[in-house]
Amino acid sequence: MMNETLLELKDIHKSFGKNHIHKGISLTLQKGESLGLLGGSGTGKSVLLRSIVGLERVDRGEILFHGKRIDQLNEDELTPYRIKISYSFQTGALFDSIDVFENIAYPLFEHTHYSYSQIKDKVKEMLSLIDLPGKEELMPSDLSGGMQKRVGMARAMILNPEIVLYDEPTAGLDPANTLNVVSLMQRLKDKGLASIFVTHDIPAALMLCDRIVVLHEGRIVFNDTPIKFQNSNDPIVKKFNVSKD
Amino acid sequence: MRHELQVILNKKIERIREFFIFVGEIFSLFFQTINCTFSGKFYFDRLMEQIYHLGFGSTSITVVIGLTMGLVMTLNFGYGLTKFGGTLYVPAVISLSLAREMAPLFTSLLVAGRVGSGIAAEIGAMNVTQQVDAIRALGTSPVRVLVVPRFWALVLSLPLLSALSFAVGIIGGMIVCKTEFDIIPGFYFSKVFSTVKIHDYLSGIVKSAVFAGIITIFACYKGLSTKDGTKGVGASTTWVVVTASILILVTDFFISKIFLVIWN
Repeated sequence: MMNETLLELKDIHKSFGKNHIHKGISLTLQKGESLGLLGGSGTGKSVLLRSIVGLERVDRGEILFHGKRIDQLNEDELTPYRIKISYSFQTGALFDSIDVFENIAYPLFEHTHYSYSQIKDKVKEMLSLIDLPGKEELMPSDLSGGMQKRVGMARAMILNPEIVLYDEPTAGLDPANTLNVVSLMQRLKDKGLASIFVTHDIPAALMLCDRIVVLHEGRIVFNDTPIKFQNSNDPIVKKFNVSKD
Repeated sequence: MRHELQVILNKKIERIREFFIFVGEIFSLFFQTINCTFSGKFYFDRLMEQIYHLGFGSTSITVVIGLTMGLVMTLNFGYGLTKFGGTLYVPAVISLSLAREMAPLFTSLLVAGRVGSGIAAEIGAMNVTQQVDAIRALGTSPVRVLVVPRFWALVLSLPLLSALSFAVGIIGGMIVCKTEFDIIPGFYFSKVFSTVKIHDYLSGIVKSAVFAGIITIFACYKGLSTKDGTKGVGASTTWVVVTASILILVTDFFISKIFLVIWN
């Protein structure tokens, strides 16, 4: 892991009506680093990811990518950053009216000038990476939940982003599918991809992440290595640390 | 008492504020649609796909409504005018009514029900399943990808559907004129062509294009702002059909007035 800051969040505040979700969140993500974001339900983990890619607007604070502020950009200005920071949705969010090939190829058709045969090869390569070779012609409705998530991850990965934001990629999956998704994330991490991993799956977070961040009541209460997370005596952190008990 | 009045007043002010925000968002979506059409990538294949779905897909119901309008109107006008010895005026009355009002209006109302609800349901379902968010997160614009092709597909298709409805209605009128009032087709068509002027056709075409814009912008707006899962999708479709139908009827009056002022 190189010591180069890719992403920096400074004093992020976000409210929905009277519900103050983030009360001053600051964190950084280094090149090649995997950061696990933990917290109870409703603590704004997904909102934080959505804010980073501009799907939600922050009320106060700054989001910087390679030192450039991106939280105030409009939709058109955000486009190049959304190519570099990709978002893997909790449900996969596949386009249900088109097949697996078109779903994965969508960013390539939109943002590159590759020929159709080049795109076909890249999709084939990506399907092999996610262990779903030959599934190009299936519709999203023909896939299991785990397969949909992996196709969603492939779509997020196809443009070789610098950062991937995973929103609960293992939620609702059986152990076999969880293992598939986690091993895919490990392979991508090994390729040097930086990521923020929102999850309730503590063993997966401990296995994959270089750093664990715990959100509680709108603030970061823990931000350190997995080892220190496991040895923490903080009562809030201990609640998440099932592996210690 | 004073406090209650204050609460009521505040609610009214809030509703007025929400109404103006809604109007602003509708206009914003319309201008974004126009802007996206003339700048950046244009999805020609999606436009063709939507013309097929929205336009060709509405052909059969257009034929049915056109033929029914022609048959029923001719029957009623025919018997009404016969009482006053005005049977020979039936082709003129029917053709003018169909060209200026009935064909564009009824076709648009029918399409508002079929297409408007379909667009709202499709985009609404995409919105609640995060597919619209995915379009944004992948660095593309939902307006460019979803709204622009639908908008232009219907703006191009609806005038053609209205023209089809008019043509079929005229044929329906001819059938009734021949069978019920002994008006021969030759006389019928000569009266139709001599009565209906170019501006009457133009009036119908412009109206249909405006109605198409109303249907798609309102349907796409509602689809993109759909919340609350499948319940929200259902509510959006109902809202679009009712709102678009009312707006079509109101707008029809104003466009008719404008055309009458211009051509008379």
